[in-house]
Amino acid sequence: MNASLTRSAVSAPPPTVRRWRPGRLLANLIAVLVALIWAFPVYWMINSSLLPNAVLVSTRPRLGPWGGSFDNYAAALASGSFFTSLKTSLIVTLTAVVACLLFAFCAALAISRYRFRGRTSFILAVLFIQMLPAEGLFIAQYKLMANLGLLNQAVGLAVLYTAAVVPFTVWMLRGFVAGVPADLEEAAMVDGCSRSGAFFRITFPLLAPGLVASGVYAFLQAWNEFTIALVIMQKEDARTLPLWLRGFIQASATRETDWGQVMAASTLVALPVIVFFLIVQGRLTSGLVAGAVKG
Amino acid sequence: MKRIQRAVALAALATATALTLSACSSDNPNPSDSTGGQNITLWLAGGDTPDSLRDWLKAEYNSRTGGTLTIEEQAWGDLVTKLTTSLPDANNTPDVVELGNTQSPTFTNVGAFSDISDLYNELGGANLLQSFVAAGLVDGKNYTLPYYFGSRYMFYRKDVYAAAGIALPATLDEFNQSVVRLTQDNPNGIADFSGFFIGGQDWRNGISWIFANGGDLAKQENGEWVMTLSDPNTIKGLRQLQEIYQNASKAPSTAKDESPWLYINDSDSAVEKAADGSETTLTTSLAAATIMAPGWAHWSIGDLVTVDGKPGRQWNDDVFGVFALPGNDGQPAPVFAGGSNIGISAASRNQEGARELLRIIFSADYQRMLGEQGLGPANSQYVSSLGSDQFAQALIASAANSKLTPAAPGWATIEGGLHMETFFSRIAQGEDVVALAAEYDTLLTPLLNPL
Amino acid sequence: MAQTSPRRTARRRPNWAPYALLTPAVAILLAALAYPVGWQLYTSTLKFGLAQQFGQAADFIGLSNYAELLSDPQIWAVVGRSLLFCLINATGTVTIGVALALLMQVVAKAVRIALQVGLLLAWAMPVVTAMTVWVWLFNWHFGLVNWFLTKLGLPFTNHNWLEQPSSFYAVATIIVVWMSVPFVAFSVYAGLTQVSTEVMEAAQLDGASGHRRFTQIVLPLIRPVLMIVLLLQIIWDLRVFTQIRLLQDAGAPASSTDLLGTYIYRLGVGSSNFGLAAAMSVFVLILTVLLSAPYVRSLMKEDKA
Repeated sequence: MNASLTRSAVSAPPPTVRRWRPGRLLANLIAVLVALIWAFPVYWMINSSLLPNAVLVSTRPRLGPWGGSFDNYAAALASGSFFTSLKTSLIVTLTAVVACLLFAFCAALAISRYRFRGRTSFILAVLFIQMLPAEGLFIAQYKLMANLGLLNQAVGLAVLYTAAVVPFTVWMLRGFVAGVPADLEEAAMVDGCSRSGAFFRITFPLLAPGLVASGVYAFLQAWNEFTIALVIMQKEDARTLPLWLRGFIQASATRETDWGQVMAASTLVALPVIVFFLIVQGRLTSGLVAGAVKG
Repeated sequence: MKRIQRAVALAALATATALTLSACSSDNPNPSDSTGGQNITLWLAGGDTPDSLRDWLKAEYNSRTGGTLTIEEQAWGDLVTKLTTSLPDANNTPDVVELGNTQSPTFTNVGAFSDISDLYNELGGANLLQSFVAAGLVDGKNYTLPYYFGSRYMFYRKDVYAAAGIALPATLDEFNQSVVRLTQDNPNGIADFSGFFIGGQDWRNGISWIFANGGDLAKQENGEWVMTLSDPNTIKGLRQLQEIYQNASKAPSTAKDESPWLYINDSDSAVEKAADGSETTLTTSLAAATIMAPGWAHWSIGDLVTVDGKPGRQWNDDVFGVFALPGNDGQPAPVFAGGSNIGISAASRNQEGARELLRIIFSADYQRMLGEQGLGPANSQYVSSLGSDQFAQALIASAANSKLTPAAPGWATIEGGLHMETFFSRIAQGEDVVALAAEYDTLLTPLLNPL
Repeated sequence: MAQTSPRRTARRRPNWAPYALLTPAVAILLAALAYPVGWQLYTSTLKFGLAQQFGQAADFIGLSNYAELLSDPQIWAVVGRSLLFCLINATGTVTIGVALALLMQVVAKAVRIALQVGLLLAWAMPVVTAMTVWVWLFNWHFGLVNWFLTKLGLPFTNHNWLEQPSSFYAVATIIVVWMSVPFVAFSVYAGLTQVSTEVMEAAQLDGASGHRRFTQIVLPLIRPVLMIVLLLQIIWDLRVFTQIRLLQDAGAPASSTDLLGTYIYRLGVGSSNFGLAAAMSVFVLILTVLLSAPYVRSLMKEDKA
């Protein structure tokens, strides 16, 4: 990258690479502690989902699921509407993620590899769209979808979600594309790669973490969003999972709130995301990049 | 690079085109069916209407008209948003809608519902719960009618009252004094004990004290609505309530009316066996001698028992009892009547089918079914279907004088803005009642009469 | 970045490729946003309430909605609170996020994966779910937080966290930071992994001054990612909505805890004053633009360089 930087770093005295330091132990301890703190609410949700309500509403918490069962899950799944919502959510989310990554990647390529008239306006527009407060838009969004005949349809929601996430993704990917030095591609071409070969072998892998991070972001936004969905997907069989969960919580609140069941329902909604995350986790953190640079 | 650029660009164009096409190709199915009866949609709010009743409605509608009835359940918290967007939209409006009785005036005043005055007598006329009928009335025309009611009454701990030597109060003043004394005596020596547990934001229960003292929240003057929080009777009720908040209730000033029954249950002596045989004594969650709650709360009140291997609650007549909040005249006090109204969307294209559904809902059969499920039937002729147990008696007694929030067009705005919650929680925190009432009269009166 | 090669900056003739590349993104943005945004601008000049939504003619009232907004003292209280909340949350989130990203680089692999999984779990929680759990954790009567603090001997039995605005904001900050940190940490970490291993190893081993190493080597390298992440945090935290709304549903006093997002919502859905809510949205947009102008300018400058 910056030549002077690299030089100064290289000219530093060569110390041993894997020296043990007391600071390292502390860092590891802190990291474990932080991991526990961040994961705790998730643990608590799962723990509570296994316990009967009468235990949950006593003033002494039960810290582990002793004497627990999967009854709450059975109750939450009893109506069957979970699976309808799961399907809707999957369709909407996957459509939005794929469309968003594709569109945003094209746009990021355009603004980071080309200079053209309207480029600055586009960048500014993308930024401003980020700043639109969504809380006042719902009537207009409803009218738009009603006029297009897309109410209660996954594709309508996917369009809105894609538009909501594209600006951010363009920005994110632009940073990554700009961060990939064009010199690398050129170096590869000197080594005998074709231009397209250089792009797919060198630039694309370097962008992988950026694509995964943006994809994860788009996935989460689409999976979790519920204000727009509330207005657009009013039919019971068109509900996404957050709407299903909210309906479940509110229906349960009309009688006695059964916290065990609410937590079980919450776990069910979070589960597909957690699975997805654990799958991409390796990608997100693998040594892809280092390998690409060295190879 | 050139080739990739072109390929990527072409792919981009193709996806954009596909997107535009798919956005246009979707059609909008018309729910009407010209051969049989009309296919209509009914929105029910929350889960109060049991499945058995829903199934009956669908079957009955089909056998009477040949059409299909679709029932969609909408969560209470999101109902206003959905009504705001869907009701004006002829293509997507539900045909018949249940909505909260306090939300009814706002929507009837803007013309969201069809005039059903001609059906009024056929559906029950003067036998219908009149405070609810008023919530659907604009310029003498009926737009919405009552669907069901459920009013609130008191649940109390017989054992704690007995230990403190306090008899069941016969008047409102007695009640107010009793709960303060209970709190001071605290016969079981429980930390943060409430003689009467009422949340600071629990205005739906709290307004009973306003009504019971002859006060009201608002009135109509020369066609305009004005708040009447500064009315001497209202102030009197608010002062009594503040006294309770300060000296009888340890509920937080932020508590709403959710789950008060948790605090009347007794689990300090309850021992629970875990699967591995170890025993846990649950610490006390008993925190109150009295609560005010809708009738169905009794399913959540009682001794801790194990049903099908799971801990649950079983009502115990020796420990728990119910009564309707008394007024100072010895009659039950006017409490807030919960419940909902029902009406036909003005934008609906299936007015005939919708009217037929109303005939079904107000039929003797359905009214009795509501009562059997513990929901107060709209038609007073069928109140006996509620049964004769202590819960039914308390419900009927408390409903006898029950009142509603003002039928002002802007009332839903005040609820939506959480203004009553804030007002009551500030009373609970001990602010000066007169100054606060004046402040909220000024703040809320313009909201009652919107645009 | 300064690395863009001069050959690319000096385009010889107009090229259709960048426009074609932009077409899908622009098309979807126009399709989804043009009408709603236009509607909002137009409605902000109308007297538009529930009656108008149900078909009554709406009167054009020019800028009266804006005048009404700006003359209301409450809005300035909301603006002030939101700015403060935004500042604390955005800096807190980014600081912790960067710290965790750096931490990921120095710890053992197993620990790093544990940390990443922990953050991922938090990040994967749907907002409605997460809020349900947090509200439950901070419940005044059954909440684990009070139980734990009481165990430590502190007087927190039945402590009500949502009653006072100050402790309400503390709870809201904990939740918002908890939710946003994983995104920042992973974005920055992804940015760090782009830095060539040689530079990073050299930087790691240049133990002379950790501070100097960070500000002079690491920071410039992750600057583009950092700038965007910070900008986004500012934009998001300025009008944080769902978390505040659900905490208000759980009992926080609405009028003293409203931030910009919930305030728009209460004007619109809550009070059916859609004209005023639209004007408020435009006002918030302008406010956000002003607040982020320095960032945008430096981003654009960097972009031109």
